[in-house]
Amino acid sequence: MILLYDGSFEGFLSLVYEVYYEKLHVNAIVKKMPETLLFERFHEVFTDEAKARKVLEGIAKHFSKEQQRTICNIFLCDTKAHEMTLLEYIRIGFKNPKELRNITNPSLFYIQNLEKELLSLVHKMYGFTRFEELEDGTLYAKIETKFNIVPFLGDHFCKRLGNIPFIIHDIKRSLAFVKNDDLREIRSIASFDTPTYSEEESHFKALWKSFFKAAAIQSRYNPKLQQSWVPLLYRTYMSEFEV
Amino acid sequence: MKLTTEDKLSILAGSAKYDVSCSSSGSENNYKTGELGCAHNSGICHSFTSDGRCISLLKILLSNVCVYDCAYCINRVSNDIVRTAFGPRELADLTINFYKRNYIEGLFLSSGIIKNEDHTMHLLLQTLRILRHEYRFNGYIHVKLIPGASKELIEEATLLAHRVSSNIELPSSKSLALLAPDKTKEKLLSPLKYARDISLQRSAKPISMSTQMIIGATGESDFEILKLSASLYQKALLKRVYYSAYIAVNNHKHLPVPELSKPPLLREHRLYQADWLLRFYGFSYDEILSENQNLDIQFDPKTFWALSNMHLFPIDVNHAPKEILVRIPGIGIRGALKILQARRFKQLNFEDLLTLKISLKKARYFIVAGKDFYRATSLYTEKIKLALIHQGSNIIQPSLFDMSIYTGEL
Repeated sequence: MILLYDGSFEGFLSLVYEVYYEKLHVNAIVKKMPETLLFERFHEVFTDEAKARKVLEGIAKHFSKEQQRTICNIFLCDTKAHEMTLLEYIRIGFKNPKELRNITNPSLFYIQNLEKELLSLVHKMYGFTRFEELEDGTLYAKIETKFNIVPFLGDHFCKRLGNIPFIIHDIKRSLAFVKNDDLREIRSIASFDTPTYSEEESHFKALWKSFFKAAAIQSRYNPKLQQSWVPLLYRTYMSEFEV
Repeated sequence: MKLTTEDKLSILAGSAKYDVSCSSSGSENNYKTGELGCAHNSGICHSFTSDGRCISLLKILLSNVCVYDCAYCINRVSNDIVRTAFGPRELADLTINFYKRNYIEGLFLSSGIIKNEDHTMHLLLQTLRILRHEYRFNGYIHVKLIPGASKELIEEATLLAHRVSSNIELPSSKSLALLAPDKTKEKLLSPLKYARDISLQRSAKPISMSTQMIIGATGESDFEILKLSASLYQKALLKRVYYSAYIAVNNHKHLPVPELSKPPLLREHRLYQADWLLRFYGFSYDEILSENQNLDIQFDPKTFWALSNMHLFPIDVNHAPKEILVRIPGIGIRGALKILQARRFKQLNFEDLLTLKISLKKARYFIVAGKDFYRATSLYTEKIKLALIHQGSNIIQPSLFDMSIYTGEL
């Protein structure tokens, strides 16, 4: 049977509930209705807060803190079809929590690696995110990333930017982390006008570029090594790589 | 001639780039509400230059004016180059503005010697005071201790910075006398000694320290170099020793001719591999090399060690403890941890190791896994050497920072 859900975390938890209580046999989980359906039964799961909460309580009881975090993290890997493996993970955890550490089980090894991939992306973006200063002093960063890492970046920069208001804008997902005084939230962004930058912005960008150039040692020139550390994909919003 | 900030930045960053250290790791999360900056335990790389080295800190000299005349140094007094300096406030402002935009993790501040040692150390500290006290900046700061500066100033530096360092420059006193007549080993190490003693007296976490030496400008063997590093780690309690392949910037009768010399990058790479073996793999320097020997160019130090100690192999991956697992060529800390985790659930064979994404290219000659061992090559040094050489390109792969996929730092 193919299950359809709305792509939200609550939606997924409701799905888990139905799989357990209606003993569904799942072959695939999708967010969008497939165009052609051949011989396959199809069921749409509606997000239900009560069901979701029930599953969440179960998870809190059966899984360690670290494993709960893994579940949330895997869910952020939204460009991978992660639902089936995550369902498997939850099944195994309810049945035999000790088994969750068994990396000779392919699904569990997959999950461990996917989480690693997410966290290494997060770590890279801690370094590669670039802020630009707007007219009113707000710092504004644009990102485009494989997985949804806005919550990680938001927490990280709250710790280091003190009282400075900032926005981290995930262009592809139309999401933004907004921090201003006591306000800290993730919003969906419908439309966004090109902002006006502060007068100093281009000056510091130029300084940064000349620092970047001056820090390279010519006799050790090795662009291949550079590219293995900063693949082209990350360079879109890094001003030092602008031509 | 009046220089713009941009000119000064280019000159002073260009002169500071030969310092290898750029690590920003090893500090506790020191976040304070409402204040700017916070260190990150694993360190963060913010960009990579066209030579493939990471930029984590704003690595810069306060001034490239210098009263010393060290043969290998671009800033020596007898060189005819443009001299300039930042004011402490100017540099503090630049740091804050770079930090805000997430260009950098913090500041790496060094300087040529202006007038004298104490005066220079004063200026460096002035910059740090503005950052820490006025701007309440908690980001990472690495500051060079100026050899010959007074004890009080060194003590203040250890209070303001995350890391302090002083470069021992060359691996032996003889080389120093030859190339850096104003410096002696004792003088260069004295600030680190002060800093060590000060931080041993304090109850808090000791200040982290590092040093650097130039490789290939003088004739020391790798054995001497590793022995020195090992004693720096054990006795001086240093966190890191950096090696920098000699890059010719000056002509000097005691130095390799610039036009003919290329930086010995592979030797530098091998030294780092050996250094990792010292710090994370439980090797001692005299296991890696014997008296006056150099590291092998063809084989990495661990493989070389294994080939000379075949009586210890093969190793059974299903039973060997962690300290032994990490001694298998081709298996690192991460691989060993995966093996330890997985073998609690089943007896591992070669296929299991491959599914765990552990490369067997090198390791297969040295292990048994359940009923599996590599039948094609028998367990003799010469046979394995030949087989490894036959694999060719896999041997000299500069996976320089294979310790950590996240940061290249530990």
